[in-house]
Amino acid sequence: MISQTNDLRAQLDSLENQVTTGLKVQAPADDPGAMVTTLNDLASQSTEQQYGKNITTLQSQANSVYSVLQSLQTIVSQAQSIATEAGSATANQTTLNDYASQVTALIQQAVQLANSQDPQTGQYLFGGTASGQQPFTATTDANGNITGVAYQGNSSENQSEIAPGVAVSVNVPGVNTSGSGAPGLITNSQTGADLFNHLISLQNDLLSGNTSAVTGTDANNLQKDEDNVTYQVAYNGNVQTRLNTASSFASSQSNSLTQAISNVSGTDVVQAMVQLNQTQTAYEAALESTSRVMQVSLVNFLA
Amino acid sequence: MLGLLGTLNLAGQSLQTQMTGVSVAGQNLANVNTAGYTRQTVDIQTSPDIMTNLGLQGTGAEAVSIQQAVDALLNGQIQGQQSVNGYWNAQQSGLQSAQNDLNEFLSSTGSSSSSNSTTSSGVSTLLTNFFNDFQSVATSPTSIPARQTLISDAQTLASALNQMNAGLSQEKTSLNTSLSNDVNSANQLLSGIASLNQQISAAEFGGGNANDLLDEQQKDLNNLAQLTDISTTSGADGTVNVSIDGQALVSGSKVLDTLQTYDAGNGSLQVQTATGGVSLTLTGGSMKGTIDARDGALATLQNSVNTLASSLITQVNSIYSGGYSLAGTTGASFFTGSDASDIAVNSALVNDPSSFQASGSATATGDNTIALELADLGGAPQSNLQNETFSNSFDQTVGTFGDSLQTANNQVSNQTAVTNMLTNQRSSISGVSVDQEMTNLLTFQQAYEASAELVSTINKMLGDTLAMKSGA
Repeated sequence: MISQTNDLRAQLDSLENQVTTGLKVQAPADDPGAMVTTLNDLASQSTEQQYGKNITTLQSQANSVYSVLQSLQTIVSQAQSIATEAGSATANQTTLNDYASQVTALIQQAVQLANSQDPQTGQYLFGGTASGQQPFTATTDANGNITGVAYQGNSSENQSEIAPGVAVSVNVPGVNTSGSGAPGLITNSQTGADLFNHLISLQNDLLSGNTSAVTGTDANNLQKDEDNVTYQVAYNGNVQTRLNTASSFASSQSNSLTQAISNVSGTDVVQAMVQLNQTQTAYEAALESTSRVMQVSLVNFLA
Repeated sequence: MLGLLGTLNLAGQSLQTQMTGVSVAGQNLANVNTAGYTRQTVDIQTSPDIMTNLGLQGTGAEAVSIQQAVDALLNGQIQGQQSVNGYWNAQQSGLQSAQNDLNEFLSSTGSSSSSNSTTSSGVSTLLTNFFNDFQSVATSPTSIPARQTLISDAQTLASALNQMNAGLSQEKTSLNTSLSNDVNSANQLLSGIASLNQQISAAEFGGGNANDLLDEQQKDLNNLAQLTDISTTSGADGTVNVSIDGQALVSGSKVLDTLQTYDAGNGSLQVQTATGGVSLTLTGGSMKGTIDARDGALATLQNSVNTLASSLITQVNSIYSGGYSLAGTTGASFFTGSDASDIAVNSALVNDPSSFQASGSATATGDNTIALELADLGGAPQSNLQNETFSNSFDQTVGTFGDSLQTANNQVSNQTAVTNMLTNQRSSISGVSVDQEMTNLLTFQQAYEASAELVSTINKMLGDTLAMKSGA
């Protein structure tokens, strides 16, 4: 009798625990199979959540890259307008010098943009994988004109994982003259883009009054730079789309794992409550009958 | 013809006989709550007849012996089950503590309806976090906070492995202690059984029944069986000889040999005979349960954890040492130590997160090649972990251990049921029923009153007889 009531008491405790914690498996011995499945699922879930974090970091980097690209587009189109206007017959050398100083300012702006850092991590966005140091340095002559822009970065890009086996690259190398690999933001030998040198020669041609070169070679070269930046904008858009898709995939994976974990180790509250009621009734009945049996003995009836 | 005096004698004897019945019922009632007590009954037989000229005439009744209501077969079964009980109880308690050292429990921080907050407490989560942190560093290779998080999580993982290993070693020591305690208890029981043998043999020498001593003997045998499996042979004089694994330890009133523990190497105690030095192969009882828990599930768990830790150290270091820090240095180790007992994060790295070697190139500090390789290591099957990933291999270890403890838990509950059943059977035969003893008491009391009535009747008749003479 006592062992039966003890068994019922233990069942009651276990059910109560299941209902209050929401878990039917808590220790390895409760259900080793379910425990292993749950631990595996928790690990997968944690990995998916990590992909989510990676994606958030990459999205912010991609946004930073995008805003630089927009500004560069503006700079290139301003330089193109200058080249067109300088080629018109009315421009004299004074006007050309004005234009030249505008171009110098544009170069300085462009260098500053190309030296942008990721606001979260402080990495230089356009130094390739040598992103710990400022990638571009401009040199000027005594008159304040820019004579050259040196690149200290490299042409590599980092791959970051956004799903198992799926990697994207958000950072863009500033310069790639290798003829293969990721196209450089400023200089890309594959397409002939070389923004800084093209702007410098525009500046120099304006200063020397060589308007035919301004409207000819320089305008043509700037077109290549415009195309290159446009390509980068499109690439960036593509990366952002992939990031968004991967982000929603990671969160839906994580959600479905939550469901799986709950199915394996979570308590079915309705079922547990029904069992709890049944067990409680049985327990009370057992206590009642025990107390009645214990009261009765022959001794009670002997006068 | 018995005659008046003969009948008076008969009545007196009857009074004694019924009195014995009352005292036996009283003894039973007094022991209604005594563990291991066997119900006693008085064996009443008619006294020898005498030849008279009317033929054979009865001379009343006498109590010839007080018997135990005992089922030897059932007692043997209970004794055997004690060994099985002891075995699984010892396994259960040893593994239960190891489960705490393993510290892999699920918990839910939210309400029961939203179980998305299920978390696990142990190394499984720490391993996943550790490899995830490499992902964070790979995504932001020059970020110092990402490196700090990685190093701090790696330290947590290392100290969790240290603690688990220390806990399991401690558990092994306490199982050895518990084995030694069991051996001491067994030796005391052996000498107790031998001295009971002597008393029983002395008591039964005159043809008596050493009932209560036999109960004590059975109790000691059951207790001994709980510690280790024993073979017993009973002698005609109520004595019992005890042997373990074929080694005779108690013969009659003599303890032939006792038990002692010895170190069979690597600090794992085993049991042997103290004088003979014969190592014993135990097959049941808490001693065997303790040994099996220690050398079975516990050892497997500790080995798996150590294999995991040493693979982790080797694999992480072999990738990591080829990387370059933010300052361009290379060749350092990430982890120091060789297994779970001494795994630690390289202290130079702890002091300077920038020295974490994430880059694959001395000149490109922002490169993430090595960090990414380390992150991918988390998902790579390891040849010395049965081609499982670190995390899956540990989860599997948890599962294997859980299986062992679950088996022990189930066996304990099954054994409890079996033992309860046998104990109930024994109670129905040997147990004291208050109702029955009260009925016996009444019966003997009535018979005693009747016999007393007989005495007073004979007394009156004797008086009448004497009055006849004096009145004449």
